[in-house]
Formats: sequence, structure tokens, C-alpha cells
Amino acid sequence: MTGRDRMVVIVVVLLAVLGGGWMLVVSPKSKEAGKLGKQVTEAQAQLASAEGQLSNARAAQTQYSRSYASIVSLGKAVPPSQEVPSLIYQLSQATNAKNVDFSSIAASAGPGSSSAGAASAATAAASAGFSQMPFTFVFNGSFFDLEHLFQQLNGFTVRKASGGLQVSGRLLTIQSVKLAPESSGGSGSAASQMLSGTVSATAYVLPAGQGLTGGATPGAPAGAATPVSSTTGAASSPTAPAIARVTP
Amino acid sequence: MRAVNLIPAEQRSGASVGAGRSEGAAYAVLVLLAGIALLAFLYGRADKQISSRRAQVATVTAQAQHAQAQAGRLAPYTSFVALREQRVKAVADLVDSRFDWAHAFHEFGRVLPTSVSVATLTGTIGAASGSSAAAAAPAPSASTSAPAGSASTSAPAASAPAGGAGSAAAAAQTVTSSTPPGSVPTFTLTGCAKSQPAVALMLTRLRLIDGVANVTLQTSAKSGSSGATASGTGGCQARQPAYTATVSFDPLPTPAATQSATAVSATKSTGGAR
Repeated sequence: MTGRDRMVVIVVVLLAVLGGGWMLVVSPKSKEAGKLGKQVTEAQAQLASAEGQLSNARAAQTQYSRSYASIVSLGKAVPPSQEVPSLIYQLSQATNAKNVDFSSIAASAGPGSSSAGAASAATAAASAGFSQMPFTFVFNGSFFDLEHLFQQLNGFTVRKASGGLQVSGRLLTIQSVKLAPESSGGSGSAASQMLSGTVSATAYVLPAGQGLTGGATPGAPAGAATPVSSTTGAASSPTAPAIARVTP
Repeated sequence: MRAVNLIPAEQRSGASVGAGRSEGAAYAVLVLLAGIALLAFLYGRADKQISSRRAQVATVTAQAQHAQAQAGRLAPYTSFVALREQRVKAVADLVDSRFDWAHAFHEFGRVLPTSVSVATLTGTIGAASGSSAAAAAPAPSASTSAPAGSASTSAPAASAPAGGAGSAAAAAQTVTSSTPPGSVPTFTLTGCAKSQPAVALMLTRLRLIDGVANVTLQTSAKSGSSGATASGTGGCQARQPAYTATVSFDPLPTPAATQSATAVSATKSTGGAR
């Protein structure tokens, strides 16, 4: 064996020893470290997600009183029950303000409703939607007074320019209007200007069993025992009840 | 003279420079030691990474679990806010799906000429424009058959189920409105005019109403003419034509269109008098 051959053998043996050491000792450790790196990344992603959820939850807790007030305010537009007396009261007030005679109100059988009567006037609509309550109103007044009345009926619930809602009464959707000269009469030119407006409109109620606030109280929603974090301040404190003046 | 190589024959070629007496074994040992040191360094670094990353995983997982537990405790608040947003959207959709009746009546009062009187004015929200072509211009027999001056209340019941199958399916995706998007508001006017040109003027003026898509004359007949019917001449003076006309408005907009319109015309009033 020449000197060159010996050198080749030595180099080969060295490479074999070092390669074997790498593959048998170092490489498994590196792979394990890489796996753990992936686990760290996943855990950090989970943490970020959980922190996001927590942040959203804290924001929800912070704005709870405002949301409660908003949802109570929406209850004026879409109450949890039929609330026919309050509807009559609102219509009476609106007609008085517009010099219109509120002649009659009748609960109509809506589409899909099988039986008559006020109790059955609430027709189950889509599962995610509100129940409909069709009514027929008769108002007597001049053309322009009736126009102003319709404007006021629409004005019970309107969109603000900012895109929010302004609720001051029951949400009504008018489907049809018929104006005709008033038959009952009176005499003179004033009576000839009077029209009878028959209005078919729909009011809405919340789905049965949902409730106005879903069991929430001004202090906390249903299922929340006590305010969790003291960092959220008085927003969710029972001593700071919601005030139903904020519009949604 | 011939040159003579004085180097011994076994050392003339193949011998590395500096191999020395160990013939390279010392270098091999040095390289081996260096390689082992490098491997040891890499091993130690990987081991350190493993231990630190294990600790990091444990810490981060514990933090995530803690945060999830806290979020879980606050879940009722999140659910309540979601309920509120759902209700606001539902009410907003219903508000957006309404037809502005007051504005329509205001427009009628604005454009109708003085040479024409209106006996009855019946407005209904018809079916969606895409579902039935006939629905866009419904036969006015229900309203015109009643004599002028009557206080019939049958019209609303006939027009209550607004919306066809297509519109109902579209409305079921959100809150079911009694006036779903795509419904066509239609007005039927009956009354008297001083002359036939007055009827023509009225038809022209009706087309000026904001949002009107189509104006159709059903009848216009004088009391003595052959085409006059009992419903068409009721309440009109002699030789004055009684008319029946239908005014169709544009279909009610979809919520998306309404929202974009709200964004554009944020300063406009939502009331009827524009």
C-alpha cells in the first residue's frame, strides 16, 4: 500500500465516521428540534387565535351596556309579543298629530295563516326571521294629511344618514293603500275633501321563545355569572345598568 | 555529463508534503477531532433548541388555554353582541325593503294637473318583476269595479301576499319582508277629466313622478260613448271622460343596492317630501 492509498483510506474512514455521527446522533436531534419548532408555530397560532377571541369577547363585554340598550330600543320596532295596544296607541298619537281620523284596525289573516283572530295573526315567517302580523287600518283625512301620516308611519323606524337605525315606534311595512272619498260624509266642501284611506300593513314580532333580550339583564347576559375581568371597568358592572336611549 | 538523482527511490513520488514520519496519521486524528467537536457542537445546539422549544410550547399552550378559558367565560357577551347585530341587520333589511308611500303620494299631488280629478287611488306592492310579467301591470278590475266614493276594504286582503316564488325565496335568506326586494309598486287611478286631452296631459305628467317605470291607460271614456262602462263613468259629469290608469314604479331595491345608495346620498332625507 502506497502512501496515497493510505491517505485515501484515512479520508474515507474519516468521512464515514463523521457522516455516521451526523446521521445517528445529530440529525435526529435536529429533526426533533424542527418538529418542536413547528409545534411552537402552531401553538403561537392557537395563542393568537385565542387572544383574538378573548379580545373580541372583552370588546363585547365592554360594549355590553350599549348593546343591551340598543336591543331594548329595537324592541320598540319589533317587540317580543304582539303588543297590539301599544301599536294602537302609537297610531292614535300619529293620527292626532296629523289631523287624521283613525277609523278602524283589523287583524288580517296573513299568507300561510290558517286561522283567524288576533292570536293567529302572527304568522311564522322564515325560521331566521321575524313573525309577521298583517293588519288593515282605515284612516280618514285629506290627501295631504294622509300623506303626512304615511310619512310618520315610516318614520317610526328609519335609517339614519350614517347607516344606523333610529327607532321611535313600531316597524310597519305598508303593502297596499287605497284612497277613496269618504262615504260617511258630512256636508260641504270640507267633507268632499275627506278621503278614506284603507291601508294594509304588516307589523313584526320576534320569533316565539326568543325574548327581547334573550334572558339578559342590564348587568350581564344570560349565562354569565359575574363580570369576569376587573379591567373592563364599570361597563359590565351590575351597578351600571344599561340605559335604553342609545340608538343602534 | 549525466544528472544523478540523489533522493532515495521510495521517496521520489507519492510522498505527501509534510506527512512526516506518521505518514498523515496525525492530520487524520486532528481532522477527526475537529469533526467530532463540530458534531458535538451541533448536537448541543439542537439539544438546547429542543429543551427551549419544549418549554416554549408548554408556555404558549398554557397561555392559549388560559385565553380560551377566559374567552369561554365571556362567551355570553359575544353571543349577546352577535344577537344584537343580527337583529339590527334584520330590522335594517326590513326598513330598506319598504316602499316610500308618502313620497309617492307627494309626487302624485305634485304632478297631477288641475283638469283631472281622482276618485280612487289604489296602490299595491306587486310580485317581483322577474317572476311574472303580468304582475307588473295587474288588472285593475278589483279597484275599478267599485263605484267611485265607495269605502271598500277588500283591496288589502287581495294584495297581501306580495311577492312571487322567486322573491319569496330571496327573502327567506334573510328576514321575510312583506314587501320583498324586487316587488313592483303599482298604483291604479280612477277619476274624471275635463276632456280627453286632459287625460293625455295626466299620463304625460304621471311619467314625471320620481321612480315611475311605466304609465298605462286602461280606459278613458265619456258617459255617452259606446265604449263607456258602468265603472268607467261613475261619478263623472256628463260628457266628461272617466279614466283608469295604472302607474308602475321601479322594483324595490335589494338591501345591497339600498346600502350603496345610502352611502352615496348620505345627506338626503329619508322622508317622503324630497
